[in-house]
Amino acid sequence: MKKFGSVLLVVLMCLSLVSSITLAQEKIPLRVAWWGSQDRHNRTLKVIEMFEKKYPNIKIYPEYTAWNDYWTKLNTQAAGKNLPDVIQHDYAYLSEWATRGLLLPLDDFIAKGVINLSNVAENQISPGRVGGKVYAINLGTNSQAILYDPEIFKKTGVPFPKVGWTWNDFREAAVKIKTKLGIYGAEAITYADAQAFKVWLMSHGTWLYADDGKSVGYKDDKLFSDWFNMLLDLQAKGAIPNIEVEVARGTLGVEDMFIVTQKSAMGHLWSNQIVAVSRAAKERTLRMALVPKAPIPNAKPANYLKASQFFSISSQSKYPKEAAMFIDFFTNSIDANKVLFAERGVPISSKIQKALLPLLGPAQREMFNFISLVEKNSLPIPPPDPPGASDVIKNVWNPMVEQIMYGKITPDKAAIEFREKVNKILQQR
Amino acid sequence: MGYLFISPWLIGFFIFTLFPIIASFVLAFTRYDILSPPRWIGIDNWLRLLEDNRYHNSLRATFYYVFTAVPLRLIFALLVAMLLKPSTRLASIYRGIYYLPSLIGGSVAIAVVWRQVFGLEGLINFILGTIGLKGTNWLGNPNTAIWTLIILAVWQFGSPMLIFLAGLKQIPESLYEAASIDGASGWSQFVKITLPMLSPVILFNLIMQIINGFMVFTQAYIITSGGPLDTTLFYSLYVYQKAFQSFEMGYASAMAWVLLMIIAFFTVLAFKTSRFWVYYESEEVR
Repeated sequence: MKKFGSVLLVVLMCLSLVSSITLAQEKIPLRVAWWGSQDRHNRTLKVIEMFEKKYPNIKIYPEYTAWNDYWTKLNTQAAGKNLPDVIQHDYAYLSEWATRGLLLPLDDFIAKGVINLSNVAENQISPGRVGGKVYAINLGTNSQAILYDPEIFKKTGVPFPKVGWTWNDFREAAVKIKTKLGIYGAEAITYADAQAFKVWLMSHGTWLYADDGKSVGYKDDKLFSDWFNMLLDLQAKGAIPNIEVEVARGTLGVEDMFIVTQKSAMGHLWSNQIVAVSRAAKERTLRMALVPKAPIPNAKPANYLKASQFFSISSQSKYPKEAAMFIDFFTNSIDANKVLFAERGVPISSKIQKALLPLLGPAQREMFNFISLVEKNSLPIPPPDPPGASDVIKNVWNPMVEQIMYGKITPDKAAIEFREKVNKILQQR
Repeated sequence: MGYLFISPWLIGFFIFTLFPIIASFVLAFTRYDILSPPRWIGIDNWLRLLEDNRYHNSLRATFYYVFTAVPLRLIFALLVAMLLKPSTRLASIYRGIYYLPSLIGGSVAIAVVWRQVFGLEGLINFILGTIGLKGTNWLGNPNTAIWTLIILAVWQFGSPMLIFLAGLKQIPESLYEAASIDGASGWSQFVKITLPMLSPVILFNLIMQIINGFMVFTQAYIITSGGPLDTTLFYSLYVYQKAFQSFEMGYASAMAWVLLMIIAFFTVLAFKTSRFWVYYESEEVR
């Protein structure tokens, strides 16, 4: 009897072992990584739930952080050969990752219809191409914008920004609002990883980096000093947050922008962020204007269209097909997009766009209108930043901005030093 | 068989300590961005240290921090230890309360709280406001930002305090009694009895705190991220930024090795000078 009992025990153990293995096999684990605001996390998690309900054999493990920590984590995971299956990617790094073989070409999945792009225009697919192959699917169309609070503009009698407005108009509006209401005219212009400076250069018909990526692109240092003289002037008049305030605030999410708390009339951001900002601002009406043009005759547009972000699949993924199914769900499911609600930019599928149009809230409608406005007033997207660009921004641009805005160095001197340091970094690469 | 029993520790040591140490030394002579394999560049990384302005800023910030925060923390710890020395019924409760900041002080949560406390509309400015003073932007002002971190460090005086307390208890009461009878004041008792008798403990605390001080990271990472104007760009923080944000593992490794040498230098210095100021009772025998 005793023997029988122990045999039974062993059999039971084996059975439970087997069943736990099969149970584990039943569910395919899929890791999905993205960066974003809290609003995006909530929306994406909800869509993941919907996906799991539709495909009960797949279990998704989400990995999400803010932009700053995202690439630290991802690069470390790449080194450890432990990348998530589905990776949210950015234009700045896409070609580097693709050429290093870290990403899987998606052309097969597209051809087989696992990722259905039949409702997507070619110019929405091409941003994800590297060397002729599609490595990433665009999650939404984006452009830089000046976000403004129309109530504050009305209250102060400052005219709304018009198509073709210049940085001089911008400066005038910001100062006027400051003097009339005592709040900031604008924010998020100073740092922003040189984004605002880059479109300032673009509207002057030049760019931060040369075409070969080995030196500074603009020829005239006056462009640099003019930019900072404008910022210093705005700072002196209190029309933008003082550098001390900017530093003390640190890098914040869109939820913490001054425009949310009505302490600023304008802000600078990517157009898809209006969804998250409006939500943080309790759906108060906010509007978007084109980025101001350079205050010169024949200034070029300062806007370009960009894929806000991509989904790509790791070349290390064990379940690429399931990963592709997830991307397809994101791109083509109407129900999923009702939850996502264009928070990552205007969806690329025309079918989804049509389905969303009647449902749009004010923030999304503003974004859709803005993107179609940009389509008529934009330049083609500049090439991705050269290798070493992040070093330039973190170790030259940001410290230099602080030195200028704290008054430790004049813009003229800084312009020369900036050029020297950047050229050195770029040539080393 | 013995090795088998200590194998968990051995394996941990070899894989997680010795291997990374050797690897970082080798990497210090390479250019390595994690994604592509390391490339040998000789001593370029080390030469670059000489001309990297931000690196010099980080050295300046770290030394400033170590040479203010460490003495202040030790003095404060000793002061509180003296106050808590008498064994009353409440003393153990007080000791617990005063140790509390050290338990939580290194945590991310406290760093976040600190940001709020010293923020523009934070507690400090609020208190100053109620008594009619105008606060400043503590974290944005290059002159005050580092002091918010130093104050945080001083506030975490708990572990040196406990060690001081144990040291104070070891000093024989008879010495103080004899001194009192001879009419020595409290101050001269402190200088002539407490400090010399406590000096071995002070040495220990000093070395531990110097090592800790040079490796300060979390607080600066969360509260100031190195700004403004690199005044709080502590050494470890810059190493982290170079390694995990700019992905220059080789350069960061070289920096880490220099930090090791700096810490080693100050530790040896403390030991070497100790014979001039540390008093061991056994010396009397000689």
